[in-house]
Amino acid sequence: MCNWKKLGRVFNPQEIKDIEWMKEFAQAPSVLPFDRFIRVYFSCRPLPDQNGQYVSYSGYVDFNRYNLFEILRVSKNPILTLGGVGTFDEFGTYPVSVIRRGNEVIAYYGGWTRCESVPFNVAIGMAISHDDGETFTKLGDGPLVSYCVDEPFVISGPKIRRFNDRWHLFYIAGKKWILADGKPEPIYKIRVATSNDGLNWERHGKDIIDSKVEENEAQASPDVFYHNGKYHMFFCYRYSANYRGKEKGYRIGYASSCDLKNWVRDDTKAGIDVSEEGWDSEMISYPHVFELDGDIYMFYLGNHVGRSGFGVAKLEGKWI
Amino acid sequence: MKWAKLGKIFDPTKHELPNDCFEFAQSPQTLVFDDFVRIYFSTRKRDPANQKFLSHISFVDMDKNFKNIINISTGTVIELGGLGCFDEHGIFPMNVARDNDKIYAYTCGWNRRVSVSVDTSIGLATSEDNGLTFRKIGDGPILTSSLHEPFLVGDPFVIVINRAYHMWYIYGTKWISCRGAEAQPDRVYKIGHAVSHDNRNWIKDGRQLIRDRLNPDECQALPTVIHHKGKYHMYFCYREATDFRKNSKRAYRIGYASSGDLSNWVRDDDHAGIDVSEDGWDSEMQCYPHVFRCDDRIYLLYNGNEFGRFGFGLAVLEE
Repeated sequence: MCNWKKLGRVFNPQEIKDIEWMKEFAQAPSVLPFDRFIRVYFSCRPLPDQNGQYVSYSGYVDFNRYNLFEILRVSKNPILTLGGVGTFDEFGTYPVSVIRRGNEVIAYYGGWTRCESVPFNVAIGMAISHDDGETFTKLGDGPLVSYCVDEPFVISGPKIRRFNDRWHLFYIAGKKWILADGKPEPIYKIRVATSNDGLNWERHGKDIIDSKVEENEAQASPDVFYHNGKYHMFFCYRYSANYRGKEKGYRIGYASSCDLKNWVRDDTKAGIDVSEEGWDSEMISYPHVFELDGDIYMFYLGNHVGRSGFGVAKLEGKWI
Repeated sequence: MKWAKLGKIFDPTKHELPNDCFEFAQSPQTLVFDDFVRIYFSTRKRDPANQKFLSHISFVDMDKNFKNIINISTGTVIELGGLGCFDEHGIFPMNVARDNDKIYAYTCGWNRRVSVSVDTSIGLATSEDNGLTFRKIGDGPILTSSLHEPFLVGDPFVIVINRAYHMWYIYGTKWISCRGAEAQPDRVYKIGHAVSHDNRNWIKDGRQLIRDRLNPDECQALPTVIHHKGKYHMYFCYREATDFRKNSKRAYRIGYASSGDLSNWVRDDDHAGIDVSEDGWDSEMQCYPHVFRCDDRIYLLYNGNEFGRFGFGLAVLEE
């Protein structure tokens, strides 16, 4: 199994002053490396409105490449505007996954709208940056990957990768809304689509990770990392109901694949769990694994799905 | 084209309808049998949760002189979608098409939103019992929002030409919300076209097919297409984007376009050959046209005042 050594929390949005759209939450970290720093995109929120409802923005924090505990910069403005009235991303851009293509940086993101019978719906949008990821321009007012016959709603959690000259989009697709104590809760599973150009996607049309804790397990953040001739996926999963506390909240799972098609889940190899106490003692979620100067790290969220930020762990010893 | 009006042929308030529906018979669309014509339409019930409308599909079977009602649906023709699905709050309209021995229904499913009233997407269902009931092929849509058609994808109309499925539909271009906080935003939508070779995967043309006549905010809806005398003829309805419900001058009218190649369409409303009546059931507006062939004659079904609250009427093409 992996042996992750927790190094601690590296970013807490609640300690950031004077940014109204970044009051709390720093969710779904996604790394873009530069020569002297790494830029970490994440999604955050201003304070809720008078009805207790949030919108979600995405921004970034730059860390010293040689000291991940040194914050160099925090984005002054969101990297993406919210969509106009009636559009799929009117109420949130979360999460964001970025990748370089030549001089461009491309972002795939979940756009949030609000619904009447259920609280929200999500579809995946695409945006391009020509200034090293400072700002992004959306390709259109609508989503790039929207709902389809067997993925009826909540198309979210994009993770963009290029393997073997082919684009891979790992994402989640809603299966059903269940009622827990009369409140709708979404169940979603991990899926994948592939593309030659990053624009036109061929969905593989099946859940690629077995469910473990229950049939209605919800899975998110399918983060795939290639290492030692194998594809490793870290993701997070939770129970269908009452998941906002420790017992049924998010944990980090693991699966591996040799061909990017068939995945074998084995959470015992994840090598990371909640802490006895502290910022990640109740849940851990939204893993993102990356390599930096020969070391392998994982960013992940702690309690309340990243309300007070994310931390980093470093892989110790041999990989699995 | 010149149409002779045959008058209103169905009034939903004069019949008992399934699903506790009580008014509206909107967007009539046909499935023609040897000795009768089945006309599907969207009718409404009140949602017990909040008294808002839910649109359900029903049908009426009429003999081929369109004077006698043979049968009215007594059960659910197609179920609305489950919690959170694209068609949870209504199916309106539904286009039914034969493809060899199969019967398909292309649905426009409605789901309510918070900042705007609704979004729509297009679903597919099949029937194994000659169109009495339909089963959806999945919980989700076959055609929905995309980069440049961001919302309100609906009003499908499909015909098979040279083994390719051609769909005309509408897509939203914007919501207008500048009329004060009290008013709900109003939508703008245009007619588009998509092609499929397997009836599952659709390629959108990605362009507005029919040019605007009124202004850039003109709303165009419910395209219906028929091949006749070497040309394709499209009927649709159009209106102003705002103040269109009660103000007859801004309400739906029937528009017309024709094409020789299915790609270039020439709009020519002056030759639609039908307009609102001086008085009566279709004097304020005309909308939701459906053109079909029955025993060598071409007919036009459509709704009149109040978007078809009190039924639909029929016209026949005069050569």
